[in-house]
Amino acid sequence: MLTAEENEVLCRVGPGTPMGTVLRRYWTPAFQLGDLPAPDCPPIRVTVLGENFVAFRDTNGRLGLLDELCCHRGASLTLGRVEGCGIRCLYHGWKYAVDGTIMETPNLATPTFRERVKHGAYPVRESGGLGWVYLGPPGTEPPFPEFPWAGAEPDELAVSEMIMDCNWMQVQEGSIDSSHVAILHLDTLATMGAGPRSVGSFDFAGEPWDLDMPVPGRGGGGGPRPGVWPSDDNAPRIEVENTPFGFHYAAIRDVSGEPGKKFVRVTAFVMPYTAMIGGSPGAVIIVPRDDYTCSSIGVFRVPKGAGLGRRSSGVDPAVWGPEPANRRIKLPPQDREAMASGQSFAGFRGGNRIQDSAVQMSSGPMYDRAKEHLVPADLAIIRLRRLLADSVRLVEEGQAPVGLGDGFDFSGITTASQIIDGDQRWQDLVPAHHGTPEPSRTVTA
Amino acid sequence: MLWLSVVVDKACTQIWEAWGSGAPVTSLRVSPAVYTAVASARPKEVARHYPLMLLGLPLISDDDVATYDPVVG
Repeated sequence: MLTAEENEVLCRVGPGTPMGTVLRRYWTPAFQLGDLPAPDCPPIRVTVLGENFVAFRDTNGRLGLLDELCCHRGASLTLGRVEGCGIRCLYHGWKYAVDGTIMETPNLATPTFRERVKHGAYPVRESGGLGWVYLGPPGTEPPFPEFPWAGAEPDELAVSEMIMDCNWMQVQEGSIDSSHVAILHLDTLATMGAGPRSVGSFDFAGEPWDLDMPVPGRGGGGGPRPGVWPSDDNAPRIEVENTPFGFHYAAIRDVSGEPGKKFVRVTAFVMPYTAMIGGSPGAVIIVPRDDYTCSSIGVFRVPKGAGLGRRSSGVDPAVWGPEPANRRIKLPPQDREAMASGQSFAGFRGGNRIQDSAVQMSSGPMYDRAKEHLVPADLAIIRLRRLLADSVRLVEEGQAPVGLGDGFDFSGITTASQIIDGDQRWQDLVPAHHGTPEPSRTVTA
Repeated sequence: MLWLSVVVDKACTQIWEAWGSGAPVTSLRVSPAVYTAVASARPKEVARHYPLMLLGLPLISDDDVATYDPVVG
């Protein structure tokens, strides 16, 4: 639980807020490169951390991220013309370069103003199908985190974005919440022929009903994958360790029919947005758009050639789609008949992301964590909050936030999902995670 | 500002360590400031005379416990 005051600190992300100040000290994935595919293509509006920007790709292919509104009279540059190595406001023709240089002011002949003032512009990096921006104070950029998939070709990556109407922490906490997987996602596991067939007194009856749901890894071969979840244990043991990039944790479960073995899923959390989930070939990145909406971005390696184009991912287009105008999720109705008959536990068609979205948004626009009753199985969520809180305090003291990983090789971060011997250390499955650990900089008084 | 996130993290880590060593885990002792903060955050539970609990354990106010050093016992 958190006090109401602490909850506000962790959740609100606008300029000048404690958490907004912390998040601006990291590189932030803000848009999909696929939305700016070619030089001089139409610009896009980018909403991130409670601010609006315009992103565009100039004639030379360079990306720019500028404050959205023209600094003359405030018209949106998203309406502007992208031409001649800049973006031109439609209202009075002021034109800006990707670095914020004011190139032309047609209704102001003298050059004094444009020579002395620049429009708000921010560093942008292209990596792994995403445009990453740095919104912190100039000159404070940390090293850019080159994730394991950074060098993949565009046709080897599946990138998608789901816009959700709730505060980012609700979704972020869900991304590292291991103990819900074999419960909320029971339908998904049943479709794969894996995992438990019951939750408490609920028993799955008959065959799963949502056979079209997207299932992790099914695109490669199809059919049941019982080895994916070789456990009926719904009360995992959670072990967490801090790392130079944030933390990693293991969810450790008994293995069905194999005493002396343990099923281990190791997840890496890279501060402050990215969860690399055990056994998954990529990451889920949660980025606040504002205090009440966020983007859940999936970046996954796929077989070469499978990453091009906009794929439906098996979700009903009336619910969500990868196209820019359809990225805000609209929850489907629950199939109460299937739930009552025992064919479905959760009743939501569309797979894990739909099921996750339903429960995360059901807590309201900004959940009050004073009301919750955490249990020890929530340790990863608890550690996330701790590191964010530590970062708020550190930044207020003039220090760097936690997990910038200065000098750490982010490309070595891995995950695991496998059966190991009972006496084997799970840390040995992810040997590249430690490097030089950060010195402890926690609250002590 | 009181950071309950730090208190909860330390307490939860202690619980897992205690369980791992087979030690009994029956209560959580915290400083009066933490106890008051939890009580203030849960007025409905206090009004209904429910015991204050954190991480599944009964919460005990203890003057000898420092704010950021909860004790699982």
